[in-house]
Amino acid sequence: MYDLVIRNGTIVDGSGMPSYKADIAVSGDRIAKIGRVAETGREEVDASGKVVSPGFIDPHTHFDAQLLWDGYAKPALSHGVTTIVPGNCSLSLAPLKAEHRMKLVGMFNQIEEMPYKAFKEGVVWDWETFSEYITRIRKGLAINVAPLVGHSVIRLWVMGDAAMERTATAEEVASMQGVLRECLDAGAVGLSTSYVDMDETLLPVPSRYADASEVDALASVLGEYGRILQIVPEFYDPDLTIARLDQLAEISLKYSIPTTFSPLFINADNVEAVERVMARVDEQFARGARVWPQVQTRPIDISFSFAVPSLIFVRMPNWYKLMRFGTPEQIIEGFTNPENRKKLIAEATPNMGLWSFLTLRFAQTDANQKYVGKTLAEIGQMRGCTPLEAMIDLSVEEKLDAHFMAANMGHNSDERVSAMLKHPRVHIGASDGGAHILSFSTYGDTGYLFAHFVRHLKAMSLEEAVKKVTSDTAGIWGIPDRGLIQKGYVADLVVFDAATIDRGEETYVQDVPGDGKRYVRDSRGVDTVVVGGGIAWSAAAGYKDDTRGAILPGEAVETRPLVAA
Amino acid sequence: MAAAELSRVRRSVLPQPGDTWNTIAQRELPKMDEAKAVSSLQSWNLHVFMRAAGAAGGVRGTNPILPSDVIFIEAPAAKA
Repeated sequence: MYDLVIRNGTIVDGSGMPSYKADIAVSGDRIAKIGRVAETGREEVDASGKVVSPGFIDPHTHFDAQLLWDGYAKPALSHGVTTIVPGNCSLSLAPLKAEHRMKLVGMFNQIEEMPYKAFKEGVVWDWETFSEYITRIRKGLAINVAPLVGHSVIRLWVMGDAAMERTATAEEVASMQGVLRECLDAGAVGLSTSYVDMDETLLPVPSRYADASEVDALASVLGEYGRILQIVPEFYDPDLTIARLDQLAEISLKYSIPTTFSPLFINADNVEAVERVMARVDEQFARGARVWPQVQTRPIDISFSFAVPSLIFVRMPNWYKLMRFGTPEQIIEGFTNPENRKKLIAEATPNMGLWSFLTLRFAQTDANQKYVGKTLAEIGQMRGCTPLEAMIDLSVEEKLDAHFMAANMGHNSDERVSAMLKHPRVHIGASDGGAHILSFSTYGDTGYLFAHFVRHLKAMSLEEAVKKVTSDTAGIWGIPDRGLIQKGYVADLVVFDAATIDRGEETYVQDVPGDGKRYVRDSRGVDTVVVGGGIAWSAAAGYKDDTRGAILPGEAVETRPLVAA
Repeated sequence: MAAAELSRVRRSVLPQPGDTWNTIAQRELPKMDEAKAVSSLQSWNLHVFMRAAGAAGGVRGTNPILPSDVIFIEAPAAKA
């Protein structure tokens, strides 16, 4: 008897090859047989009329904190995502000394828009080393985690506050190499760094004080293990992005490691810039370097209120400083004080096109319900003011609890995004899962891929799309035995209806520690999600208690044979 | 636009320890008057020049250049 049998499914095996009909039998955590299975299973799933594929891998997330209170990474698992990569952009929650906890929370708050209160009420700080953090999240882990270790955090560990002031000495660099080895031995999939992020005081994060020789020294350690380097380049400028990908290419060639950079958006005003970046990517791959750009599937939608800082205002210093550093009372005073209001309006007026098309998403008072769903241009007409004044006045009237939405801000040309996603050297990712929880939903990007680009636009086949988010990702990230439906591979599987799989509507829910809220999207058309041979979630029964999530690629004792020369 | 032209790379350097606008100007643009070279570097690198300098009393002083920065040593390519 098998532990699990999935019958009568259409197998899309992750290789890109045509689908076929078969049953799948699972023993323990492995795929034991693919074909006609006569024996019964302790559990059986009828996949008639449905697709069975490898579990999806999300390579760009910030679930570091959420995993401490939610081992399912909800709702990502219900979308068919069976492996997540947290620790991107130079930020991980380990290794972390007790005295730096609040510093790191500040960075997560600023960069990833994670509320302070969630850390305060949802996190029991009982680890310092990477190994201790892994031990901590292993409890109740229902989804696989391939964690990056953050460069900024390693600097803080070794250099203390000097990590935010200067380059490292040779001794400090050697110490950082040792710390990185410990993290890789404990299961880190690689290292992340950032060339663009700022901390909560709007000063550069520690990784930006590292010179090229420090990054090179850390990359040499990645080379010992054959592990990946992820970076955030100055993505707003193609010349800078190209310079960074050239740096990555040299590192990739020197140490024979994969590298990846994110994000890469294509907007109406940067088509030529993205073409230049991709031409350089092609050129570097032709040299034998691995420099994978990450591209997200979904268009850019941003919601915000003035109760928390929003990155939509980051290029307007007066607005952003008020949101970042002001108390609610100070923000309201800033909006109502005639002199300050004049200054804010002057700074934001050049962007009136943006304000005009924002919609009021939620309001709390009865008086303003009539404006919900309307654009600020429409509201301004109704109230006899400009769209910008309408946004300010509504925020004051709602005591900052008025929520606005900027929909389809970019990355929304079907033709251009399709071409990017299909590109053989584009890595589908950059969901930012678990982050920016008050700005947009970071869940459902795979459902959107299948619904929009496969089913509606027919821009790519189902087999191509599955390959992009399964075996391609596993290959790029060096995750062994996953990403394909093959005998002997780990049974991370998704059963879904190709005719209905999609992301659900974006909703605003209260499920974050500290009475916090966030935007989420439920899955549509996903039937069953299997992690490590056990059913972790099903549409019929929801999340299961049988938690089999693993740390990937696994402790180095298992993977040392892959070590590069 | 030809592929070779698309992939053209703007010349840049990474800072050396202690670099300032002046030291980079002296090293990378030696044929140019230093004041003009510094001014040119600043205009080609607004991502650095427009950044707030280091914290008061900090090691970086008033130097906005970070050790990780890319510094362009030529102007952006003209739009086609």
